Amino acid sequence: MTYPVTPSQTVPARERLPDDFPAQRVALVDLLDRVLAQGVVITGDITLSIADVDLVTVSLRAILASVSALAGQAAGQAPVRAEVTS
Amino acid sequence: MTQTIRYRLDGDEDGAAERGLAALVLTVVELLRQLMERQAIRRVADGTVTDEQAEKLGYTLMRLDERMNELMEHFGLGPEDLNLDLGPLGTLLPEE
Amino acid sequence: MTERGFWVYAVAGQYAGEDLSGLDGVGDGRVRVIGAAGLAVLASDVDLAEFGAEALRRNLEDLDWLERVAWAHHHVIDAAARLLPLLPMRLATVYASEGTAAAAFTERAAELRDALAQVRGRAEWGVKAYARPAREVSARDKPAPAGAESGAAESGTGGTGTGGTGPGGAGAGSGAGTAYLKRRRDQLSAQRDTQRDAVASARAVHSALAGHAAWSRLHPPQSAQLSGDRAPMLLNASYLLDAGDGTAFTSVLEAAASTHPDLRLELTGPWPPYSFAGGDAQ
Repeated sequence: MTYPVTPSQTVPARERLPDDFPAQRVALVDLLDRVLAQGVVITGDITLSIADVDLVTVSLRAILASVSALAGQAAGQAPVRAEVTS
Repeated sequence: MTQTIRYRLDGDEDGAAERGLAALVLTVVELLRQLMERQAIRRVADGTVTDEQAEKLGYTLMRLDERMNELMEHFGLGPEDLNLDLGPLGTLLPEE
Repeated sequence: MTERGFWVYAVAGQYAGEDLSGLDGVGDGRVRVIGAAGLAVLASDVDLAEFGAEALRRNLEDLDWLERVAWAHHHVIDAAARLLPLLPMRLATVYASEGTAAAAFTERAAELRDALAQVRGRAEWGVKAYARPAREVSARDKPAPAGAESGAAESGTGGTGTGGTGPGGAGAGSGAGTAYLKRRRDQLSAQRDTQRDAVASARAVHSALAGHAAWSRLHPPQSAQLSGDRAPMLLNASYLLDAGDGTAFTSVLEAAASTHPDLRLELTGPWPPYSFAGGDAQ
């Protein structure tokens, strides 16, 4: 007996579909899990674009590194002085 | 394989670009605010701040939080618009 | 005449002439079958300008190209899998020629036959588990500061004053700040506990499902940007089930869902046995 499936079923069904992604792309992640050896990695960059023109690329890794460094510095320091700036 | 997140700053509605930029900026602000808050909580728990300092810390952070709410309301942004989740990179703030 | 390569979709056991005609390949070629040590290799000719090593490095970064090609690859495998048991190949298994492909598969024939025996009469089903956001209270979603009254009551250290001014007040209400920090600390702590419990739930679910499957395989969690789902993914697994086991498996899944209401479970399938082709060395 081969591949036990009803002939009508070609695209695996998904229980729910997010609004902002086309139906195909939703099931695509499930397919990519299976057909790609390592899967997909989203780089730590955000590209800001307007009118389909890529303008600025922000490296999130750089931001994350800074934040981690801040966290490391803050731990164990003298009491923090917090002021309201409004 | 890698993919870059493309963050569109324009859109169909009025003020989409402004909102897009605000969301990005407020995400960073919120990140820092949450970081400060966690740090304050840790310091209070460690007992390395005085009661008076703890009160001031808490009050300021509370006011900052209110300010964030006001800003978000002003730009019509909800919590889901602040992208604090980077997928494989995990959440921006480390789990304790 | 541009250089051609040999794109492989799947390998099957004895090919008894099942009708695979009319299947279009990923490029412009038709799917055809070549023999290799008694195995049947399903493949098509492709243009190396688009599907060669260098071109692939470029094209695999293009999500639109990837989407198109992944589906084309899948449609061939899916159609063929209804006709004969097979081992799907990963995307972009390209050989320089029919000859090199035949040689490569001949060399691995024994291992491939073992793998085919494993998947014969079986299909793959996927299960994903997400942490439910319902109980999660983020810093943004917490109730508005209730004002110093409840704050002072919470902090409960005898003494300092009646609850001072509320958030809009001129000065720091006594206890309001401390109460705020305590509230946030409790929320974060509860969040951590919830997350820890959800992870334990996911492990339990996988354990239960794996017990009902011939084989199981864990995948890395999906990227939220790609799946469009912000909830943390705590399980992303494939299970190899015997034909006709679908109903029983679904019951186990439903039972697991009831036992673990802190998770949202999703089922996909059936899939051709992509995750059980043993092909990571490809």
